[in-house]
Amino acid sequence: MKKKKRIAQKILWVLSILTLIFLWAPMILIMVYSFSNSKYGSSWEGFTLKWYAKLLTNDQVRDALMRSLIIAGVTVVIATLIGTMTAYGLFKLNFKGKQFLRTSILLPIVFPSVVTGGALLVFFTRLVHIPLGFPSIIIAHIVFCSPLAVFIILGRMQRFDWSWEEAALDLGATPFRTFLRVTGPQLLPAIMASAMLIFPWSFDDFVITYFVSGVGSTTLPIYVFSQLRFGATPVINTIGTLFVSITMLGMVLVYFVQKMGKSSTT
Amino acid sequence: MSGSNTRNTEKQTAVCLEIRDVVKQFPGVTAVDHISLEIQEGEIFSFLGPSGCGKSTLLRVVAGLENQDQGDILIAGKVVNALPPYKRDCSTVFQSHALFPHMDVAGNIGFGLVERKLPKAEIKERVQAKIDLVNMGGMEDRYPHQLSGGQMQRVALARSLVLEPTVLLLDEPLAALDRKLRKEMQVELKRIQREVGTTFLNVTHDQKEALSLSDRIAVMKDGVLLQIGTPAEIYETPRTRFVASFMGASNIFSGNVVSASDGKIKFQTEEGLQVILPEPADIAFDQISGFSVHPELIELQPGNVDSLAAGSAEDMLVEGTIQEVFYLGDFSEISVRVNDTETMLTIYQSRSCNEPDTRIAQGQPVVARFPAGSMNLLVG
Repeated sequence: MKKKKRIAQKILWVLSILTLIFLWAPMILIMVYSFSNSKYGSSWEGFTLKWYAKLLTNDQVRDALMRSLIIAGVTVVIATLIGTMTAYGLFKLNFKGKQFLRTSILLPIVFPSVVTGGALLVFFTRLVHIPLGFPSIIIAHIVFCSPLAVFIILGRMQRFDWSWEEAALDLGATPFRTFLRVTGPQLLPAIMASAMLIFPWSFDDFVITYFVSGVGSTTLPIYVFSQLRFGATPVINTIGTLFVSITMLGMVLVYFVQKMGKSSTT
Repeated sequence: MSGSNTRNTEKQTAVCLEIRDVVKQFPGVTAVDHISLEIQEGEIFSFLGPSGCGKSTLLRVVAGLENQDQGDILIAGKVVNALPPYKRDCSTVFQSHALFPHMDVAGNIGFGLVERKLPKAEIKERVQAKIDLVNMGGMEDRYPHQLSGGQMQRVALARSLVLEPTVLLLDEPLAALDRKLRKEMQVELKRIQREVGTTFLNVTHDQKEALSLSDRIAVMKDGVLLQIGTPAEIYETPRTRFVASFMGASNIFSGNVVSASDGKIKFQTEEGLQVILPEPADIAFDQISGFSVHPELIELQPGNVDSLAAGSAEDMLVEGTIQEVFYLGDFSEISVRVNDTETMLTIYQSRSCNEPDTRIAQGQPVVARFPAGSMNLLVG
């Protein structure tokens, strides 16, 4: 019996490693080739950092990168804010249609991005006349990122001992001071976690952004897409590497922030 | 007014908390139904009752965490109805202790003092004093998740006491602790209260806790105050059926007064037993609906009435058969069925070194003697 278990474990190991390789191989290849001294970035011809240097001087890339960063930054702040307030209201208040609201908040994440993108485009051009560009992209990003914040923070609140708030009030803190000294710090890890997850969601988004960006507002993913039409170039590799690095960094930070949060709760 | 008021004017202590005709309703249920009472400065007062009787709700109304629909709360003579909890001069120790997990022991205890904007040095001093008071010295830097249940409760206590409130409200603070710890904490609570002299308002469903801890107890059921008195009064002379059975007087007989003379009344139970009791001073005869007897006061003797040793003429004697004997170590619980009836008596017999208990066994015929002073009259 024990021998069978050991064999099964070994098989599981092999399968896991194969799966990981399968998933990561394209990524690793791209990262490796971004340092390769080849014209088309699809083979290894010596180590070089010149593609990264070229990236720094490429105006289009720089613009696209800035645009993506600004959009992601603003989205993170506003979506987290909306998410926190919504979660607080959903948790504390009872009103007619609460269940309906709670379910409908899920929709932007659940709908296919093509559907959401198309709907938002119609909304911005036909219904509300919001200029396509920064305003439309930011609003669109807030729409599909806020639900994430709502549910992460709501989930945290459900494991909360709300008698903390009552205790704080009872001890002499006003509702504002209670939020500042007790509720806020307790929610902070969840707020940080949702911020860290929303950033890559917004930064990496392609489909919805493509629909609502209009002309001239290129974000980094859209730039990469447009460049792919010309065939593979090393610049794609460098951008790809950047993408992965930034997202990985975000994940690592999420991990540590959540760990911090866990150690300060019972 | 009630008897307790006259006693208080003799002692000349101030009324530190007054609850005046308070009503609190929730959809479908009246949690607090016109309750009025006064709590004296420096006493340990307990609300005792089963779950759902409204005692916690009443406590929260006093604290300001709930708002009453009617009536007033007065703390130290001032009406506080309009004051939010952070402005009332009372502090609550919660059942879940509610310690702030992201602050250490010192931070938790000092929380309210920081809100009062006291200078750091003074906060440190007062926090240290309370840490010593609750025997948590050396644990200032620990976080709540590093503390045991009893330790957390002590920190919660210190956190409230450091504010020197007029009334300290305790919402079943020991309910979450295991039995041994609960007993230790009861002793601690009493010691601390005697040391600081703050008025304690305690809510509990545990009769033993209320009896051992309190100066006075108010028994509640379904939002109504049934009886207020000292622990001895509540235990030995419960007034209503519910209070009697809640306090463990599990032998309750219904019936009424059939005649009265010479300062005695003759009471006949539904089962036809007759007993002579002293005439009560403060109850009308037609209000008397029965009497209760605590299990530990009943004496059991094997055999029947004829083989009995002499006793007082006012003892009640009942013949019965032992149904079951539950051995509980320090005492045994014996259930006896009264002959020719379905009535069951519960009797406690303490363990004694004098006679071996070989005569008490299931199926044995016995006589239960209810001594003259053991029968307590019930109304309503």
